[in-house]
Amino acid sequence: MKVNLEIDGQARQVEIDPADPPGQWRIRVDGEPVEADAHFVRPGILSLLIRGQSYRIVLDADTSDPALHIGSHRIPYRIDDPRSLRSRRGQARTDGPVTLKASMPGRVVRISVEKGEAVAVHQGVLVVEAMKMQNEIKSPKDGRVVEIRVAPGDTVAVGDILAIIE
Amino acid sequence: MFRKVLIANRGEIALRILRACRELGLSTVAVYSDADRAAPHVLEADEAYRLGPAPAPESYLRGDLILEIASRTGAGAIHPGYGFLSENADFAQTCEHAGIKFIGPPSSAMRILGSKTNARQAADEAGMPRTPGCVHALASPEEASDVAAGVGYPIMLKAAAGGGGKGMRAVYSPQDLPSAFASASSEADRAFGSGDVYLEKLIEHPRHIEIQVLADEHGHCVSLGERECSVQRRHQKVIEEAPSAVIDGSLRRRMGEAAVRLAQSAGYTNAGTIEFLVDDRKNFYFLEMNTRLQVEHPVTELVTGHDLVHLQIHIAQGAPLPFTQKDVQLRGHAIECRIYAEDPANGFMPSPGRITRLLQPGGPGIREDCGIFEGWVVPVDYDPMLSKLIAYAPTRDLAIARMLRALDEYVIGGIRTNLALFRRILTDPDFRAARIDTGYLERLLAEPPPANGHRIDGDSTIPATAAAALFEAAKNGSNGSAPEPPQPVSTWKTAARRDAIGGSD
Repeated sequence: MKVNLEIDGQARQVEIDPADPPGQWRIRVDGEPVEADAHFVRPGILSLLIRGQSYRIVLDADTSDPALHIGSHRIPYRIDDPRSLRSRRGQARTDGPVTLKASMPGRVVRISVEKGEAVAVHQGVLVVEAMKMQNEIKSPKDGRVVEIRVAPGDTVAVGDILAIIE
Repeated sequence: MFRKVLIANRGEIALRILRACRELGLSTVAVYSDADRAAPHVLEADEAYRLGPAPAPESYLRGDLILEIASRTGAGAIHPGYGFLSENADFAQTCEHAGIKFIGPPSSAMRILGSKTNARQAADEAGMPRTPGCVHALASPEEASDVAAGVGYPIMLKAAAGGGGKGMRAVYSPQDLPSAFASASSEADRAFGSGDVYLEKLIEHPRHIEIQVLADEHGHCVSLGERECSVQRRHQKVIEEAPSAVIDGSLRRRMGEAAVRLAQSAGYTNAGTIEFLVDDRKNFYFLEMNTRLQVEHPVTELVTGHDLVHLQIHIAQGAPLPFTQKDVQLRGHAIECRIYAEDPANGFMPSPGRITRLLQPGGPGIREDCGIFEGWVVPVDYDPMLSKLIAYAPTRDLAIARMLRALDEYVIGGIRTNLALFRRILTDPDFRAARIDTGYLERLLAEPPPANGHRIDGDSTIPATAAAALFEAAKNGSNGSAPEPPQPVSTWKTAARRDAIGGSD
């Protein structure tokens, strides 16, 4: 399979297929082969041997930005699918629905739009209050509000989906 | 003699106290708010009772409910931990009246030493050095000049009627004093309704060094050495160590004697800490006293070999101190890192939420006082400290190396923490050389992070990339684990099955 990802700020393309015996993988990173022996200690914890070098890599996927822990380094990464990789090269994202997520924990104080309403890029969609600061969440594109997942008074955590704009 | 202790606290300190109680054969009663129903201290206690909703005023600050639970359960003592009610003299007094032993100092000593002004008077009476200066309002710029000349520049003009930085002016030379006096006075007047200012010597680049004292109820009091607590951010300690790299035996003895004298003058018993500022000429000045067990007590425990909570309980049970001052020896070096649920990359904003992954370090010389577990939801309602990671080794350099090693093993997933900050501090040349003072961390944080701050070495983006792809492949594959290696076929089993079926193959 092919995986496009952005790791530590750089875009990379990976081809990955299981090899023989089980635990061996054929991996190419940006075309360069990498021989990897991988063993999942448990889901989300990987022991990786590459040419004898040993790495313990822990997945931290349940926050608003997924990351890998290698030693004491926390490395953000993102899996892109090929369509969005194309659109990220300089174009405003106009295709596909966009989810608005909470970037800090707080409480929804106002919803400024209704489901089905057309919105313009940068138009305020809702307001979240956290630690005595009000934060207006704006639409990243022209589109239409497909779904609003919160109501005024709801408490939200980082990464919670607030609304979907198509 | 009490046999059951109620721990009036939460988080890592509640668990730490509970462990000491269990080791001494005492029964334990935990109290919890709704946010802490599944907290470690509840799980480990013999009994546990609900206080109320999460906010502290409705739970851990409800002294009345806590006392009621203690009476109802037959707990003969309450350990208040730190924070919450631990320095509340009224609560301590109510325990005294209820016949329940408050594991800490008497309320009378708390009143004398817990209040800043009372404590400074007590310090004067005990002959304790404090920041030189005057203790009355200055009548005029001329008087200010005279006092300042006597004390020596630089000096700090301070408002008599209030704090928070208003009416404060640092003055470095005599010619600046008259105008500084005028502006400090008018600012104070606007802020507090009184233009009275006084002055004291400005200690530049002070170190915050505190002395642990322990006193029994028979008049014996000892000093257990110092802790270096200068690595702070906004007056919150971040790293503490014992001993301090700049305190020699003679200074330690003098500071210890001053601390013990102050504690005894107020009739202090049990554990307490006297905080000092130490200037670059090794002069020490009394700051304040904390009439409770402190967060950073583990570093003292490791270098002295004494369990402070055990000793607190023994003292509260009326036993004399089992050692004298000359028995106190410091050995080795301990460093503590306070791990907080906050994001240094985002203005240290608190980061509550669910801990989805917790891999804790271990091995030689590593102690962790921890109040969390994998799956725990860090509540918004309390101080965001998750745990304390402590490294102990024969020397300071080795303790630093040990801590760095432990930090490499430590993974907390699902929330943001300040773990990466410690690596930055512990690899900083100034910290390693112990060139620290209370402004150190803010100076370090004002510098841009090192270029490869969170980046791994050049060619190990390959493992990270491969790993990211492997996690993705595992997700799309079966159940997140690599395929099982094929089991070797057992010819025994095959033969047995064949016989059982009753045919030939």
